Amino acid sequence: MSDGGDFFDLLKSEGYQFPGHTAVGVEGASKGLPFHPTEGTTILALRYRDGVIVAGDRRATAGNAILYDRADKVIPIDRYSVMAISGSPAMAFEIARILEHSFHYHRRRQLQEMSNEAKLRRLSLLIRDNLPMAVQGIGAVIPIYAMYDVRGDEGHIYFYDALGAQFEVTDFATTGSGAAAIRGVMYYTNRWSGTSYPELSRDDAVGLTLRLLFTAAEYDSATGRYERSTDILPTVKTITADGQADVTEDELRDLHTQFLD
Amino acid sequence: MLLDEPYRFAEAIANRRDYIEDQLQGGSPVVGLAFADGLLVLTLRGGSQKLFEAYDRIGLGSVGHPTDIEKLRQSAVDLAHVIGFNYSDADVTLQQIVHFGLGPVMKTAFDDVIRSPYIARVLLAELGAVDTESSFFTVDYDGTFHRYEGVAAIGGVPEADALMRERILDANPGNHALGDALALALEVWGLGRWAGQQDSLPPDEDDLKAATAKADTKAVVREALETLEVEAVVLDPSQSGKTKFRHLEQAEIQSALDTIQA
Repeated sequence: MSDGGDFFDLLKSEGYQFPGHTAVGVEGASKGLPFHPTEGTTILALRYRDGVIVAGDRRATAGNAILYDRADKVIPIDRYSVMAISGSPAMAFEIARILEHSFHYHRRRQLQEMSNEAKLRRLSLLIRDNLPMAVQGIGAVIPIYAMYDVRGDEGHIYFYDALGAQFEVTDFATTGSGAAAIRGVMYYTNRWSGTSYPELSRDDAVGLTLRLLFTAAEYDSATGRYERSTDILPTVKTITADGQADVTEDELRDLHTQFLD
Repeated sequence: MLLDEPYRFAEAIANRRDYIEDQLQGGSPVVGLAFADGLLVLTLRGGSQKLFEAYDRIGLGSVGHPTDIEKLRQSAVDLAHVIGFNYSDADVTLQQIVHFGLGPVMKTAFDDVIRSPYIARVLLAELGAVDTESSFFTVDYDGTFHRYEGVAAIGGVPEADALMRERILDANPGNHALGDALALALEVWGLGRWAGQQDSLPPDEDDLKAATAKADTKAVVREALETLEVEAVVLDPSQSGKTKFRHLEQAEIQSALDTIQA
């Protein structure tokens, strides 16, 4: 039994092995055989008037194949934090699961909420622990982590590299294969559209998010695009002083009509 | 050694019982009951927290030595989270925590006569989900556990548990609103406290009934409130998010306190 009150240590003492620690060479990958790990694609986060919006398309790919068109890449971690994932969903969901349990476990065992700084640190360590998977090209996880800081009364957005280095951005972040197509657009619209992102209303911010994801899908085959015939909507969540919440599918359809038609 | 001599082992165990019962006698009872809006657990405490969140739908309270309670609480939280992670939230049940965690842990410590036992009685409450019933468990210092539906209570003396439980069952609080449930729990706490304060309780059931009927439990609570404060939690199915455990605010408890003062 662990006495340190750390959930990851407790898991390890119970025999759990984090896949990233124990990854051995995947034969196919090293010999150039066609092993294509599943990967997620375009995610983005931006600050708006009430907090932060975190969004992602729904497509998961393996090489050139579309594996799944209803993947959910925006994962709630606790009341005020959301993680969006690009890269390997298997490892990302494992990391999200460890984080979620760690935060609840800490509150219940130590009788106090884990600080925001400590939460970021936990994620950073898990990503670093995942490095063996990342360098083999089969399990990299490059998340965006967004939270609402109730004390400071504002939203924060962080992104990570594969080594676990953490970077806070001021207004927006995007990663995944479609990010290249929209990163410049985000910079441009935030700076010169007349309204910077932190001044946007909720509707305008969600509408912009839908436009950005649509643009990403236009130039990146691995990003799913909203089509009326299939009606697979992207995942869009907000985090505000009231906690995190989904933007409902009805709202997304209305805003799609308003902003994209 | 002790274990080579059966008589001395039995004697040592009996001595442990006497010692532990003696330590527990003055403890502040913990009362749990199902009411209209979920489960309520109530106690009176001195300085530090006595009611704890173990998992999304599970709360825990205890009578006993603070450090022993702390160790037991931590092992329950550990086990719940390991099960929740490796299986799923739905697999974290009181049955798992008590049958495979607290029960054996407390029994082992109690039987090992060269180690110190846990000086604690534990009450756990579990809010039912779609396909499971709400339930309570009590675990005694020797690892004996019981499952209850609707009502459970632990006090400083073993007789208090049944007395408190019967008093709650008589009031049939299943449809009580929060204020009424709190007032009932508070008065029942007084009954448990009263039982712990007696030098001895009548062994005969009728005599015991007569004695408890005469006890002024409200006065016991009023006296206790001079040095202690009420701590109450609810497991509330209407609470948003996965966690259903919540400590009640002072304002929510006040109306029940007023009925005791009246």
